[in-house]
Amino acid sequence: MLRALRLLFAVTASVAIVGGAALSADAADQTIVFGSAVSLTGSLAKEGKLTQEGYDFWKDYVNARGGIRVGKKTYKVDIKYYDDESKPANAAQLAERLIDQDHVNFILGPYGSGTAFTVAQLVERKKIPMVEGNGAAEKIFNQGFRYSFAVLSPARRYLEGVIDLALHQKPRPQTLAISAASDAFSLEVQAGAVDYAQAHGLKVVYNNKYPETATDVSSVISAIKASNPDLILNAGHLQDALLVHKGLKEQNVQAKLYGYSVGPDTPDFTTALGKDANYVFGGAQWSESVKYHADRAGFYRTAPEYAKAFAAVYHHRPDYHNAESTATCLAFQYAIENAGTLDPEKVRDALSKLDVTTFYGLLKFDSRGLNVYKPMVTNQIQNGKLVTVWPAGLAAAKPQYPTPPWAQR
Amino acid sequence: MQLFFQDLVNGVLAGGILAVAALGFSLVWGILNIINLAHGTFIMLGAYITWQLFTSFHLDPFLSVPIAFAIMYGFGYVLQRGLINQVVRAPILATFLLTFGLSLLLVNLALIVWTGDTRAVSPAYSGANFTVAGVTVPWTKLATLVAALLITALMHVWLVRSKLGRAIRAMAMDVGAAQLAGVRVAHVYAVTFGLGAGLAGAAGALLSLSYSLNPSMGEPFLIKSFVVCVLGGLGSVQGALVGGLVYGIVESFASQLDVTVLGQHLSGSGLQDVIALVVLLVVLVARPTGIMGRAAA
Amino acid sequence: MNRLLRGLGLGGITGSPQAFAVSLGIMALLLALPALHNGYLELTFRNILMFAAMSYGWNLLGGYTGYVSFGNVVFFGIGAYCSAVLSAHHVDSLLADVPVALVCAALFAIVVGVPILRLRGHYFGIATLGIALAAADLANNLDVLGGSGGLALKQVPQEQFSLYYYAMWAVALACMLGTFAIARSKLGYAFVAIRENEDAAQVLGVWPTRYKVTAYALGAMMTAAAGAVYAPANGFVDPSIAFAVDDNVFPIVMSILGGMGTAAGPFIGALLLAGLNEILQSQFVKIHSLFFGAIIVLVVLFLPRGIVYLIGLRGGMRRYLADRAAFRV
Repeated sequence: MLRALRLLFAVTASVAIVGGAALSADAADQTIVFGSAVSLTGSLAKEGKLTQEGYDFWKDYVNARGGIRVGKKTYKVDIKYYDDESKPANAAQLAERLIDQDHVNFILGPYGSGTAFTVAQLVERKKIPMVEGNGAAEKIFNQGFRYSFAVLSPARRYLEGVIDLALHQKPRPQTLAISAASDAFSLEVQAGAVDYAQAHGLKVVYNNKYPETATDVSSVISAIKASNPDLILNAGHLQDALLVHKGLKEQNVQAKLYGYSVGPDTPDFTTALGKDANYVFGGAQWSESVKYHADRAGFYRTAPEYAKAFAAVYHHRPDYHNAESTATCLAFQYAIENAGTLDPEKVRDALSKLDVTTFYGLLKFDSRGLNVYKPMVTNQIQNGKLVTVWPAGLAAAKPQYPTPPWAQR
Repeated sequence: MQLFFQDLVNGVLAGGILAVAALGFSLVWGILNIINLAHGTFIMLGAYITWQLFTSFHLDPFLSVPIAFAIMYGFGYVLQRGLINQVVRAPILATFLLTFGLSLLLVNLALIVWTGDTRAVSPAYSGANFTVAGVTVPWTKLATLVAALLITALMHVWLVRSKLGRAIRAMAMDVGAAQLAGVRVAHVYAVTFGLGAGLAGAAGALLSLSYSLNPSMGEPFLIKSFVVCVLGGLGSVQGALVGGLVYGIVESFASQLDVTVLGQHLSGSGLQDVIALVVLLVVLVARPTGIMGRAAA
Repeated sequence: MNRLLRGLGLGGITGSPQAFAVSLGIMALLLALPALHNGYLELTFRNILMFAAMSYGWNLLGGYTGYVSFGNVVFFGIGAYCSAVLSAHHVDSLLADVPVALVCAALFAIVVGVPILRLRGHYFGIATLGIALAAADLANNLDVLGGSGGLALKQVPQEQFSLYYYAMWAVALACMLGTFAIARSKLGYAFVAIRENEDAAQVLGVWPTRYKVTAYALGAMMTAAAGAVYAPANGFVDPSIAFAVDDNVFPIVMSILGGMGTAAGPFIGALLLAGLNEILQSQFVKIHSLFFGAIIVLVVLFLPRGIVYLIGLRGGMRRYLADRAAFRV
């Protein structure tokens, strides 16, 4: 009997603790609280950290200057974080906790398209606006959601700039090979690139995919080599971009252009590959050298200013993950200022009507919530530095084409 | 035809790497009957040790192999003697969970120490290659294969010739009898596990040349080690080698498949892992002890 | 009290009767949870109930017959995708989802189980792991399952959302009572006979294959039911969600923590472990995975037979220490 009581006590205690831990105090009144489930551990830990840095950079800037104007009052800003361990199922659960327990006002989106989808569904039910800067798969926005907005250009656009750039070179390239990792985002990038290439008269001589966690892509490389393409593109993430590019060198695959959807824009790519990284193109949401001038005063108005200030705080140059996360917060800030209130419905409406240029580019959403108005930029690694080379109006340097053979570098 | 030979060479090279990765796992499983779920994490640690030595002291990765081996051996010995020996005779799941928990711990520790940034070991000669009869062979992968064969041979000789090696093999056959014959079981268990960890560390050092590093990098290698072990047969060094090579070659050729069935496009390279796992299942059902294993007693 | 419980049939291979009674009591309490109108609490306990069901699914084969499956998540995925595919064809009722999932999972278990249950020990485990991994990869490549992009499911409106909680509660209860009933019956004794000595059992007329496949299929159905309810509750299924590694490992840890081969163990284990995870997640945002790993290590070192075993232990500390010495080498 005693034993049963002991067990009952132990279990009830833990149930109570679960309940108790789950219930916490409300946020202070004069603060706008944003909630965010980011990947602080797990396979996306790096990108999650960059996302968090982007959010925090904005928060510290705004708070140092008194806060955000909401109607006649000024509110400070706070961001509550949870770690989703890079797992989509956790992100939804944590987002629900942020809304129901921590009573956050708005949600800042997670990194990764799978996670973003589950959170988008949740905020739709709860009618709390979410803006995200890191999940570009279009599937999310074709569901008719009204409460989710993305500041970044959609996935299908990622490699269009690279193809565009190549088509403007002489002699005009004829053939294209493209490989992709098997996740939703990369496959959309690949599909978009293939459609764009074919629409512009390029012949796609290789179009295949490999598992996301592939440890060996040699057969993909050998098949690409056998198809003898002018242009080689890859849609994946940093890990496989490194794997593919190393493999292309190892099997001595020559092409006039190498382009990656994700990879070149992360400093880790250049550090890892050294001079093999030169001449590589990448489609990016943003780069430090992109030429925008913000409409509104109050935040850094150009990309170089932002980069310099960011580097002073975080001791590394910002990449586009940082910038797009900061832009996410700016979207909220301007929408709240426009709406003059913290009411979720009014802020949602203000978001849908937003139209402002920032250091990151144009922030404007179509009826689905996607930012189709901001162009992707194309960057190239030249002499170890990443520079924007396309479109011409935003470029800081001319593209180097064609890529010299491996042996001659 | 050239593509065929290129794929064959690629497969052999990849297989050599997998064999090295799976070797330690196979020994620990076959001899101690412990499935070490932290094996992938040990590989990751070996890779990071190499990276650290490369970045701080410019030590060539190939020279780091014995160092990584030694460090991880010590680590594994202490782990087994201090922790895992406590539950070795508990229901088998205990070691399964213990190593799982350890893996979780170590990956997160690595995340704290080295952060989630992707690292790479890129000595000046990486990417260098030579071409023979239309087939391009990368130097580093070839050197890795040679190193793998060397390690395999050394381990085999040591297991057969040395006193400790014989003690290990005796224990694998019958713990009670070995104990009666004077084998200090706790110590020999720890030595064996230490060897497994050391081999994983050496594998990590070699792998650091071909793959980029991050704290979660070990997991795919753990899974492939499972497959290699079953394919090749447990507990023997030759088994890991044969299993690795077979797996590497099958994966390489299967990746070139490209068919459409009932309107569904199936690409071999996308289904790489499925094909390998189907091979695994077929082998398990048809010949569970693997290619090199002896038939079950 | 003990006599009363034994009279009801508790005890023996169903495990500690007190633990089972307590579990039922907690389940009764949980029925009242939606009255608190807290969406997050509902979500948390819905997940706990889901893990409890999955733990029961694993426990039936792993705890009772001793065949350790490392790949039970494949049934969860089957259940989840059944709901998703039905939703894609405009069938959105749980009353359709769950039966379809049960049938699919049972068929899969039988077809796959017959060949692989011939394997013993670790080999069987590897085979199940292989199947789970292959299924995940296959799902990634099949357009009818949405490929890597996954499938979205239609959900009931926000006001009726507690429906999913009640459904998961019902599934967990069914698993709990089902395990109890099975353990008490001839099936249960056959399972344990196989666990203790399969060859002897066969000699005594217990045909192992038939019983093993039955255990596998029943456990599969439990796990699939959890997946079938989870899918519409979550609203989205993709291969990484349907075949998550966590969903594979947690049920095993939970069953062991609670006490495998008992009728209350999986539930207690699910409650404790998920509760622990929850506390860690909210208090130690950055390093909770680290703590979680440490806790698993500590549990295995000091509680290798689980908590329910500890509760029923006579002879107290001395027996516990003697047990641990026996595990050591």
